[in-house]
Amino acid sequence: MALWALFLLLLLQPSFLLKSSMANLEGDALFALRRALKDPANVLQSWDPTLVNPCTWFHVTCDGDNRVTRLDLGNANLSGKLVPELGRLEHLQYLELYRNKLRGPIPKEIGALKSLLSLGLYHNNLSGPIPPSLSRLTNLKFLRLNGNSLTGRIPRDLTTLPNLKIIDVSNNDLCGSIPTTGSFYKFNERSFENNPRLKGPELMGSVNYEIGC
Amino acid sequence: MDSSCLQRIKSQLVDPEGVLRNWSSGIDICSWNGLTCSEDLTHVVGLNLSGSGLSGIISPEFSCLVSLQILDLSSNYLTGPIPPELGKLQNLKELYLYSNFLSGKISAELGLLKKLQVLRVGNNMLTGEITPHLGNLTDLRVLGLAFSLLNGSIPVEIGNLKSLKILNLQQNSFSGLIPGEISSCLELQVFSAAGNMLEGEIPASIGKLESLEILHLANNTLSGSIPIELGSLSNLKYLNLLGNGLNGKIPVELNQLSMLETLDLSNNKLSGKINILNSRLRNLESLVLSDNFLTGGIPSDLCVSNSNLQKVFLSLNNLSGTFPSELLNCSSLQQLDLSNNGFYGQLPSGLDNLRNLTDLVLNNNSFSGKLPSEIGNMSSLKGLYLFHNSLTGRIPVEIGKLQRLTVLYLYENQLSGSIPRELTNCSSLMEIDLFGNHFTGSIPATIGKLKHLVFLQLRQNDLSGPIPPCLGYCKKLQKLALADNRLSGSLPPTFRFLTELSVVTLYNNSFEGPLPESLFLLKNLSIINFSHNRFSGSIFPLSGSSTLIVLDLTNNSFSGGIPTRLAESKNLTRLRLGHNHLTGTIPSEFGQLIELNFLDLSFNNLTGEVIQELSNCNQLEHLLLNDNRLTGTVPSWLGRFQGLGELDLSSNDFHGTVPAELGSCSKLLKLSLHSNNLSGWIPPEIGNLTCLNVLDLQRNNLTGPIPSTVQQCKKLYELRLSENFLTGMIPSELGKLTELQVILDLSRNQLSGEIPSSLGKLMKLERLNLSFNQLQGEVPPSLGRLTSLQMLNLSNNLLQGQVPSTFSGFPLSSFVGNKDLCGAPLVSCSESVGSERKWLSDNEVAAIIVAIVFTSTVICLVLIYMMLRIWFDWRKVSVSSSDSGGLESNREEMQWFYGEDNEKKNGDYWRVNSLTSVQPQEK
Repeated sequence: MALWALFLLLLLQPSFLLKSSMANLEGDALFALRRALKDPANVLQSWDPTLVNPCTWFHVTCDGDNRVTRLDLGNANLSGKLVPELGRLEHLQYLELYRNKLRGPIPKEIGALKSLLSLGLYHNNLSGPIPPSLSRLTNLKFLRLNGNSLTGRIPRDLTTLPNLKIIDVSNNDLCGSIPTTGSFYKFNERSFENNPRLKGPELMGSVNYEIGC
Repeated sequence: MDSSCLQRIKSQLVDPEGVLRNWSSGIDICSWNGLTCSEDLTHVVGLNLSGSGLSGIISPEFSCLVSLQILDLSSNYLTGPIPPELGKLQNLKELYLYSNFLSGKISAELGLLKKLQVLRVGNNMLTGEITPHLGNLTDLRVLGLAFSLLNGSIPVEIGNLKSLKILNLQQNSFSGLIPGEISSCLELQVFSAAGNMLEGEIPASIGKLESLEILHLANNTLSGSIPIELGSLSNLKYLNLLGNGLNGKIPVELNQLSMLETLDLSNNKLSGKINILNSRLRNLESLVLSDNFLTGGIPSDLCVSNSNLQKVFLSLNNLSGTFPSELLNCSSLQQLDLSNNGFYGQLPSGLDNLRNLTDLVLNNNSFSGKLPSEIGNMSSLKGLYLFHNSLTGRIPVEIGKLQRLTVLYLYENQLSGSIPRELTNCSSLMEIDLFGNHFTGSIPATIGKLKHLVFLQLRQNDLSGPIPPCLGYCKKLQKLALADNRLSGSLPPTFRFLTELSVVTLYNNSFEGPLPESLFLLKNLSIINFSHNRFSGSIFPLSGSSTLIVLDLTNNSFSGGIPTRLAESKNLTRLRLGHNHLTGTIPSEFGQLIELNFLDLSFNNLTGEVIQELSNCNQLEHLLLNDNRLTGTVPSWLGRFQGLGELDLSSNDFHGTVPAELGSCSKLLKLSLHSNNLSGWIPPEIGNLTCLNVLDLQRNNLTGPIPSTVQQCKKLYELRLSENFLTGMIPSELGKLTELQVILDLSRNQLSGEIPSSLGKLMKLERLNLSFNQLQGEVPPSLGRLTSLQMLNLSNNLLQGQVPSTFSGFPLSSFVGNKDLCGAPLVSCSESVGSERKWLSDNEVAAIIVAIVFTSTVICLVLIYMMLRIWFDWRKVSVSSSDSGGLESNREEMQWFYGEDNEKKNGDYWRVNSLTSVQPQEK
């Protein structure tokens, strides 16, 4: 009987953990990121999921309502993957994870960050496509994905981003052609350079822009 | 008989309980404690000193008891090895040495005990491998080697033990395969090797052990699938394979085990559907298949009426489907755990058929609909775990009939309505968790009836009204979480009866008024969070406990001084009193809080200096004293706080210099000293803060140059040095701070010289303010590359020459007060050229004007053409462009904000490129 009692206790253990950490979705989302990352420099040491909110965690900035607005982990020697839970940070304006060793895909859930102004993922080892869901980031001004191993074509949907001021997808392995419509009409070629399979600006109406993809 | 031999044995034993007291020469040996003599009283045939509190060693002298048949020294405190000399006891049939502290190896000489039937030496500290010589003990019935430190593999010679009935090897460090030879032990009834490091597959030949009743191989690293041959073990009552790496399906042959009472295959990698059929396993009492990859639903004949099934644990699988109504047939069921699966749909109203159920564990599924009122008929129910589902509706009032209910976890559902008063009739309740629902109304005024309540969590609901005073009668309460509701009123004085209370979180409510002074009587408080309420008066009543770890009272209206008594809580790690109306000084006793990690006293009316005693708190990572009326100097000992990540002393009355020692706080991320009276130079040591993200020194009286060492703060994203008296040039090294993003603000200083062209490398910079200085020379064309810039202010300097063309979208106010600047949005440079260069002849001027007019006309024409093209293309773009117009009208209007409309008309060179590249293609 003792064995069963112990077993039942073990079974219920995660629920006790849940109870303390479900305090706030945003803290949980960030803690999910912490769990997915290797952090040899211990920059995430202060990320204590039992706190009321993540606002006193280092590298996290909140607004007056204790909602996360900035995540600043550039140059932090982090490796591992991004997690879909990041999409729950609905007040996030700056997601700065540049110059790390992050790998794997950019989660499509990032597209749910409706307050995002800046997505700084440059100089990592991210792979896979640029998720078309990024076109839902209607407030996005700065999109810096350069220096990764991203593949596939540049999603046409991104041209509908009304506030996009900067895009840098240079130094990746993108293919197809470069969109020229919508907010893309103003971007310099430098934003797209060093993608050997990228074929240049799209040719409206004359050629399929997925050539070479 | 050799009494001297026994005396020598006695002499090696320590006998604190005196059980060997009558082992003396004057007394007949056969009446000595623990001894059994042969019928003719000539030989000692038995010696039983089990559980006699003996310590010391097992003497080699035991070998003199040559007639000994039974030796039992179990459950003592004996140390040392098992002496090999025991191998001389050729008549020994039973040897019990278990539960001692014996060490060393099991000596090969034990293999000489040809008549041995029982060998139990487990629960010692024996090491080494099982000697293969044990295989010689062909009469052995019981071999017990459990709970020791034995290693190596199970010897194949085990197969020689044809009489073996019980083999217990559990909790050692045995490795390797389970030898197939074990199938030769045809008499085997119990085989337990749980808790070892055995690997490989379970040998199929185990299926030959027809007498086997218990097979316990849990917690090894066994792999492969479960052999179908196990289905032949027709006497098996207990099969436990939990915690291995077994994969494949559960063999349907297991249904042949008609005697089986317990089946535990949990924590493996089993897949496929559940095919355990209670209709054939009539004796099954416990079915544990948790933590596998099982799919599908629960088979309809898992449960039959008149079954003995008491425990069904299927959690942590990928099972799905609605609540299996067939389970309701199992009226014998006591515990049902379907948690962490994909079950959905409503809970059946017939749940009360399970009248013996004590624990219903359905959490982490997708069950929806209402809680059936019939739940009130489940009179045996003790634990109801329904959290993390999608249940809706109210808690049925019938729940009040559950007199045995101790745990009610309904958190993270969509339940609504009020918390029924009837719930407080559940007099056994110890834990209630309703977190994360939509409960409204007030906390039941009868909550005080729950005398056994230890844990009450109502966080994140829409509860309103006051805390009922009778809550104070829940005297066993240890954790109370009422945060994130709309509760109001003041804390009832009855709180003083909650003497067991350790954790109390009331944050994000509308509580008000002063705290009852009697809260001081609560001596077990360790975590208090009352933040974001409207409490007022003194915080002294919360300083009664000396076991505080966390005290968070931010955002209230507390007034008065900070109680020195808080320093009694030596384990205090987080003390947050920010955003209140506290007055007085920081108590010098706080120097005793050496565990303090977070000290937030910001936004109060504190006065006095940052006392020297605080220098003991060198574990501090956050020190927030900003927005008070603190005086004195910024202490240099802060440099010893090696873990400091955030230092905010801004908006106080600090004077003196920025101490160079701050440069030693190598983990500092945010340094904010703005709005003080700091003077002197910015120390070059600031450059040692290589992790720094934010440096804000604005609004002080700082003088001297901006140290070029600031270039080493490579992670700065915000740098504010404005409103000081800084002199000299802007160091060109600032151009190395390429992560600068939020702002570079050097305005309102006395900076001179030219703007370094290196600032053009700050590609991420969104705001640049260099206004109100004495900067001269031209605006470097490189600044025109700052494409991220949204706000620019170069006004009120001595700048001259042409504004970079890409800046023409910024408003006039970005550049005014520089009388020699020209170009859009200022007057065009041609006008200023005309007025300046008076040495040109009128003819030359005329020619220049003609040329300018001509080229402007050409440019205008080209522009008009391009605009038309763009307009044409633009209309093809989706509706979003008209949406953006709406957004712009809402944006914050700053005088030096980059006009977005202009941006669109100016940054179109990419379009030109694409158009020109189209041309040859079309030809």
